[in-house]
Amino acid sequence: MNRKFRIAALLGAATLMSATALPASAAELKVVASFSIIGDFAQNVGGDRIELTTLVGPDGDAHVYEPKPADAVAMAGADVVLVNGLQFEGFLQRLVDASATKASIVELAKGVETIKMQEEHHEGEEEASEEAHHHHGDIDPHAFQSVPNAEIYVKNIADAFCAADAGGCQTYQANAMAYTAKLKALDEEVKAAVASIPADKRTIITSHDAFGYFAHQYGVAFLAPEGISTEAEASAADVAALIRQVRDDKASAIFVENVTNPRLVEQIAAETGLKVGGTLFSDALSDESGPASTYIDMMRSNIATIRGAILGS
Amino acid sequence: MLLSRTAPALALVIACAASPSRADERSARRLFVSDHAAPVVSAMDAATGEKLGSFDLKSPAGLYTSDSGRTVFAVQRDGNVVSAISTGISVDDHGDHGDIEVEAPKLLDADVTGKKPVHFVDHHGEIALFFDDEGIARIVSEKAVLDGRPSAREIRTASPHHGVAIAFGSHTLMTEPHPEKPVEELPVGINVLDSSGARVGDLHECPDLHGEATSGNITAIACAKGLLIAKSDKNSPRIDFLAYPDSLPEGKSTTLAGGRGLQYFLGNFGPSAVVLIDPEAEDAFRLIELPARRVHFAVDPVRPKFAYVFTEDGRLHQVDVLAGTIAQSLSLTEPYSMDGHWSDPRPRIAVGGDSIFVTDPLKSTIHVVDAASFAKARDIPVDGKPFNIVAVGGSGETH
Repeated sequence: MNRKFRIAALLGAATLMSATALPASAAELKVVASFSIIGDFAQNVGGDRIELTTLVGPDGDAHVYEPKPADAVAMAGADVVLVNGLQFEGFLQRLVDASATKASIVELAKGVETIKMQEEHHEGEEEASEEAHHHHGDIDPHAFQSVPNAEIYVKNIADAFCAADAGGCQTYQANAMAYTAKLKALDEEVKAAVASIPADKRTIITSHDAFGYFAHQYGVAFLAPEGISTEAEASAADVAALIRQVRDDKASAIFVENVTNPRLVEQIAAETGLKVGGTLFSDALSDESGPASTYIDMMRSNIATIRGAILGS
Repeated sequence: MLLSRTAPALALVIACAASPSRADERSARRLFVSDHAAPVVSAMDAATGEKLGSFDLKSPAGLYTSDSGRTVFAVQRDGNVVSAISTGISVDDHGDHGDIEVEAPKLLDADVTGKKPVHFVDHHGEIALFFDDEGIARIVSEKAVLDGRPSAREIRTASPHHGVAIAFGSHTLMTEPHPEKPVEELPVGINVLDSSGARVGDLHECPDLHGEATSGNITAIACAKGLLIAKSDKNSPRIDFLAYPDSLPEGKSTTLAGGRGLQYFLGNFGPSAVVLIDPEAEDAFRLIELPARRVHFAVDPVRPKFAYVFTEDGRLHQVDVLAGTIAQSLSLTEPYSMDGHWSDPRPRIAVGGDSIFVTDPLKSTIHVVDAASFAKARDIPVDGKPFNIVAVGGSGETH
């Protein structure tokens, strides 16, 4: 379901000040964001100069999202379409085709130093066949889980908005600068929180491989029964291997995600006695009543949940 | 009971129908057409019309393809059997490309027998066949059918009725027959059954149940006053009722088609309209009036923006799913009146690759329409009265 966030009520004061400098009659840039995290970035950069349509809304799973005719209508009328790229939005090409959109499709992960998804070979598995090696899209697309990468996303958004609406460029740049300052502070906050967790306690379990960039940036190891996409189901061997790792005391906590079915994690928790430590927000924000309705709140919520579960706060 | 039959034409099929466009890339598309009066299915190359095989059946058949396109099921309501034909084309998705394998189509030794099979539903490779005169659903996996070992799982209902079953992960959605007049009246609702056959939760009421389809993550089931909308949920399917709004005229859908590429449904609504349904939109129903009574409709699996409706005035209409309007119309056949019996020979639509195929049973012809220009491209002459038609195939790399 489409969700439009048109008013800048959620924006910080600095962003509001620059946005309100615009004439009230400023033409709105029609922006489509593929999912909620990108929608939040876009709103922070665009302020009230943009009319934003977010395709995959709060708690929605972009991996398995099925686009609707109304999404194609929004795409057809858009000036700018913001996507993550790195094959994160499997539905994107279908929408581009169906809508015949003339908008520029902007891949926000462009410029990010990508990492590969974890290749794990679990004990007890058959040797992988040639066919099993015949897979694609090995780049982890969840680059937004590292705050410095989010800064790159924000810069890319500002550049895209400037290209599409030169008259608003100063505003977009000012908004991006103000928001980036908040992201830099957030990055320090996450680093400090991780530093307070003993180094030997920084291995945790989630549903799917969504936190590779978080792990890379902040030094927390994530194990996941599902692969890079929620669409790929975990094999019995993967689950058994994870359970063994938990029993060997290699994992300190286990979490469900807001975009995945919690059943598998609950099963692992039940078999290992590890208590589910809460919900991590991986590929989507929460709705406004939740603890992660903005990207900044999402990162704060995640690190507080991780820290709380490990340290038992 | 398994029936073995011979298909003499099959022995003549030597070359596969693949047309190489690059050294390692091929495309192949095939049509499977049943006759209105004769118990036979013909396979032909969609590009050339070359006949690739002819498969004898017990009775005239309704045709359905599996979602994978690897199997065509011939549902023979009067022959009390469902036969399976390997299309001979297999496309495996590898993310950034597909791999294609092409071989001759063949009748599989995989009949599923029972009294009066009518409704066929493929849900993620699990094929649910409902046999009305027994009130029994038989569920087989496509993989087992292709492997020639179609051991069917049977689920019985209280009585014979015009029912339908949907294999829904580890659960089954199954019609509940009308309590007083199970044979004469349509089912009254849907039960969710677990893997042991036990009912989960209460009956989901759906009077006059007829018509179902799946699109994206949603299965829709048509009822008298609206639709049941089924989705996967944490432990068992979640089913909600979506009522027809007051803004729609009197009527209901009894046949649904599920969008491919875009998540929506196309349903009939009264004799001279279709309705576009997006269950998750605020304005979920968009009615499209037709210039004449509707004969058949189909969604375009390749160009998600479009669907097609054939009307009794002999015209094919291109429906713009985004705009909710008829974008173009094309005269194809002489008029086919909807007066008379519902099962009289009338055109049917199939979409494959760059073409739309429309059978013209009284002219022994399949009309081919270019999907991009929406102009008539050519005719394929066929024997008898070509009726039900399905298109399969794709393109991919060969390794």
